[in-house]
Amino acid sequence: MIKQSISFLVAVTIATVLLITQTTVTNIAWLFSMDMPVDAPVVISMIVGDLIGMNVNGAFPVGGLVLVGMLIAFIVTRIALIWVNIDKRYLYALAGGMAMVAIVGLMPLAFYNLELIAGARTFVGKGYLIFTGVIAGYYFGSRQTENSTDESR
Amino acid sequence: MKVAKFLTLLSGLLVLSSLSSAEVQYKTETMVEGLDHPWSMAFISSRHMLVTELSGQLRLVTDGELSETPIEGVPEVLFAGQGGLSEVLVHPNFEENGFIYLSFSAPDADEPKLNRLNVVRARLEGEALVGHKTIFKSNPPRKAAAHYGARLAFMADGSLLITSGDGFNYREKAQHLDNHFGKILRVNDDGSIPTDNPFFNSPGALPEIWSYGHRNLQGLVIKDDGTVLEHEHGPKGGDELNIIEPGNNYGWPAITYGIDYSGATISPFTEQPGMEQPIKYWVPSIAPSSMALYQGDMFPSWKGNLFISALVPGDLRRLELSGEKVVGEEILFSELGRIRNVITAPDGSLILATDGAEGKIIRVFADNQID
Repeated sequence: MIKQSISFLVAVTIATVLLITQTTVTNIAWLFSMDMPVDAPVVISMIVGDLIGMNVNGAFPVGGLVLVGMLIAFIVTRIALIWVNIDKRYLYALAGGMAMVAIVGLMPLAFYNLELIAGARTFVGKGYLIFTGVIAGYYFGSRQTENSTDESR
Repeated sequence: MKVAKFLTLLSGLLVLSSLSSAEVQYKTETMVEGLDHPWSMAFISSRHMLVTELSGQLRLVTDGELSETPIEGVPEVLFAGQGGLSEVLVHPNFEENGFIYLSFSAPDADEPKLNRLNVVRARLEGEALVGHKTIFKSNPPRKAAAHYGARLAFMADGSLLITSGDGFNYREKAQHLDNHFGKILRVNDDGSIPTDNPFFNSPGALPEIWSYGHRNLQGLVIKDDGTVLEHEHGPKGGDELNIIEPGNNYGWPAITYGIDYSGATISPFTEQPGMEQPIKYWVPSIAPSSMALYQGDMFPSWKGNLFISALVPGDLRRLELSGEKVVGEEILFSELGRIRNVITAPDGSLILATDGAEGKIIRVFADNQID
């Protein structure tokens, strides 16, 4: 249970960090394209600032949002695994992706099509963010597979 | 050292006394209740006032009484999010031509899932609008129902300024001149484009653009000397009051004093050559929703002050100006909650509209006036 919890928190952290840095990089890239004085210290301070700010200063903590989304998705997957015989890594990867679909795809519908996560304003951005959920889910599924193997020994 | 401290204290007390000397005695009365999201008000005579409801009705208030039936002939609007029937503005020669101007969001004719900011001119005959002419449609259309701007103001030369917000999802477009997001636009009263606009002959730029780099501009006043004052909502912090010069770039979103609602840094920069600074900004946000320049006689000590209605936490800001600087700020009516609109009545009283589905119109008048 402790191993599972740690794996889950690591998965949430992976998705959260990838999500936040994508928004940061999107903003930095645009500022750079506008000939704003973007240099290494600015990039570093923006990344660090957003990793903290998007979890502390925003209207909603991004990490909390990802945690809730993935918790629901992984619980559903755990139940599904009772009946479905598919490699856990792929099923959890799908679940992680679906959690991010809910976050980046459904959230705007609740707010008059407003994209509250700046990095999710394009199809490419949405696709990337969903992929971060897939990576996080795959990691979590891998850990579950390893744990099962350890227990069977 | 002690002398310096004493002088600092003394100068502080002098500033405080000058602010408190501006206090005046006033009373308030509720004129109208039960309005559905009132957004804008305009007097067409000393007795008659028009009020827009965001949900799409234009209402007439006569001697403080609300007509039961709305004005007929108002175009169909998109009432969603921040969209709907927004500004009502009376033509400077209204008594001769009967023209009023309405700004509103409406679905795009070709792509109904998208919408645009529209400005229509119509003639008010009795309690109906006739002879509609669309004088502006924002381009390109948008998906989100937010950040329309939608304020209107006539300049002394008879041209019309239109504020067009950044559409929330399209903020970067405020820095580009090929679209209407995050701009102030200047057109003639019939919608044609003045040839002396700053980008009239600029290749690739829309000729109606007057200034750019704005966010969601909901306050616009023009002083007698021609100075154009504008305020706009910042994101999370960074609401701004600007003096607008034609052709200038006001920086959004390349420079800002706010952060994104998600907590992300939109830009770490607050200034940049070629981008204008606000004369005042607010952190945290006050959500400025409208602005009036007080020029009435009822409150002589308020003459020349700016009044800004604020939605967060909900109050009225009285700003004292000295040249191009804000030298004092007083918070009034914080007990009223979110205030959507403030205007000056012909008799010099202030008229406030509170926000929401049960909006009120409240008159602020001098204590020595007869009710």
